[in-house]
Amino acid sequence: MAMRRPALSAALLWPALVVMAPLLLGPLVLLAHESLKPFVGGRVGGDESGALTLQNYAQIADPQYVRYFLDTFRVGLLATALALVLGFPVAHFIARRAGPVMRRLLVGGLVGTLFLSIIVRVYAIAMTFGPHGPLADFSRIFGVTASSPDGAELMVVLGLLNSTLPLVALTLIGTLQNINPRLEDAAMSLGAPRWKTFFQVTVAMSLPGILSAAIIAYAFCISNLVVPMLVGRGFIVFVSNLIYFRFSEVANFPSGAALSMVMMVISVALFYGLLHLVRSHWQEAGK
Amino acid sequence: MKRLADAVFETVYWSLVTLFIAFSVIPVVVAVVLSFDARSYVGPFPPTQFSLRWYDRFLADSYYHDGLVTSLLLATGATAIATVIGALAAIGLHHARFKGKGLIQAALLSPLVIPNVVLGFGVLVFASRLGILDGMTRLLMGHVLITFPYVMRTTAASLVGIRASYHEAALSLGAGPWGALWQVTLPLARTGIIAGAVFGFVTSFDDVGVSLFLTDAFTFTLPVAILAQMRANLDLTIAALSVMFIVATVLIIVLLDRLAGLDAITGRGVYGR
Repeated sequence: MAMRRPALSAALLWPALVVMAPLLLGPLVLLAHESLKPFVGGRVGGDESGALTLQNYAQIADPQYVRYFLDTFRVGLLATALALVLGFPVAHFIARRAGPVMRRLLVGGLVGTLFLSIIVRVYAIAMTFGPHGPLADFSRIFGVTASSPDGAELMVVLGLLNSTLPLVALTLIGTLQNINPRLEDAAMSLGAPRWKTFFQVTVAMSLPGILSAAIIAYAFCISNLVVPMLVGRGFIVFVSNLIYFRFSEVANFPSGAALSMVMMVISVALFYGLLHLVRSHWQEAGK
Repeated sequence: MKRLADAVFETVYWSLVTLFIAFSVIPVVVAVVLSFDARSYVGPFPPTQFSLRWYDRFLADSYYHDGLVTSLLLATGATAIATVIGALAAIGLHHARFKGKGLIQAALLSPLVIPNVVLGFGVLVFASRLGILDGMTRLLMGHVLITFPYVMRTTAASLVGIRASYHEAALSLGAGPWGALWQVTLPLARTGIIAGAVFGFVTSFDDVGVSLFLTDAFTFTLPVAILAQMRANLDLTIAALSVMFIVATVLIIVLLDRLAGLDAITGRGVYGR
């Protein structure tokens, strides 16, 4: 009996492998190849006959290109940090304080925000914080005029924040549920004030979950296309937008492919690298 | 001193919770109110007169209608394929014990991490190399790629709670391996598979990054149609469309809650309440 299990489990894997392997490997191999072709203006796709070159990658090291990468990483970091600050209390409220009805309502709302089309959400934010919106004066709090480059950056941060908040909050609810509430009760019955218990017990014990949520949110932010496209007004251009321009505006496929390869390596390395670091650190500490 | 510090803490705590909820709710309310604006231009908020003109315009626009049909067909097709192969793969990996299992799992989940623009660009190059120029086929390729990981991940998560002994009990009671799969494992993994399929459907329906590369002049998805209109002129037809999206999202949430329970997303936790 036990002998037959491996045979069946392998059989279950085959349909996915047959469909997914070509869909994953085909595009990546072809993009890698495309990124090494010299670009010839006026034609779609790189020069087929030319010798392979690294010039498309060398171009990315140009300060003018590096700026787009730095903008992407900086704005993404800002949105992620804000999402954690706002998301943790809400997750804490839902996991610890809310009654069953409130909890259901809030979790439903979070999933709803997550499911609502990102275009709709960004449009709603543009309408709310835009020049005619009811919260048009919001940017003044930060000493920024809405029409300036900083105003565009603020809108991109708000757009990304709206998308990452439900992601962060839902992840943190899962984390908080797996922390024994009696530890907090114990701290408080031993005389610790509420705020100290919150930071030194609850937040401290959630740290692996907080970091995982941050990584998920950050990966989402830096690969985003729609938010900078709709509210960045050309002041904030993410690498994803640049890749799309290479395809849609100038048809420079080799350059777009090189940017894609770099962005993919950074995303995958950041995600799996950081996640691995978080997990291995806490596994050791836990033992 | 302790009282004061705790009062400050509570104030900050509730301010942040309120800010979160306000920031999530206000834009949606603004979009809904604007969708009924009677003015023909985007004017100061709030509108003074209301009408259904933007709904009429949206409903009369064949561009949106075509996009909606394409998006529904595409999301249904991609989700159907991804659900079958994704659920089976998750079950297969759950039982499998072989070297490189972790690597295969990470590779199959990688579309979650790779930027969608990269996937879309890659599939475009791949499809044209294969000679596939048909928009729907290209879109289906890209959308199976992005919906698959959601089904696999949620199915795998729902399997964690299922003890291997159930499966073994079925085998020792005389069920064949397929019988045990069909009658024991699949029903137990049901909520995970349903939640994954819903996530996959929504992901496909909302996708922009992949679809932008794969649409052609005749086959375009609803989000791509909206984007094109938004860049042409920012009128309030999109507010009316937003309300349709909001209504559809609420329906999906209710459906998800009924079929799988919202707890399938957050989990109940070890110290479940």
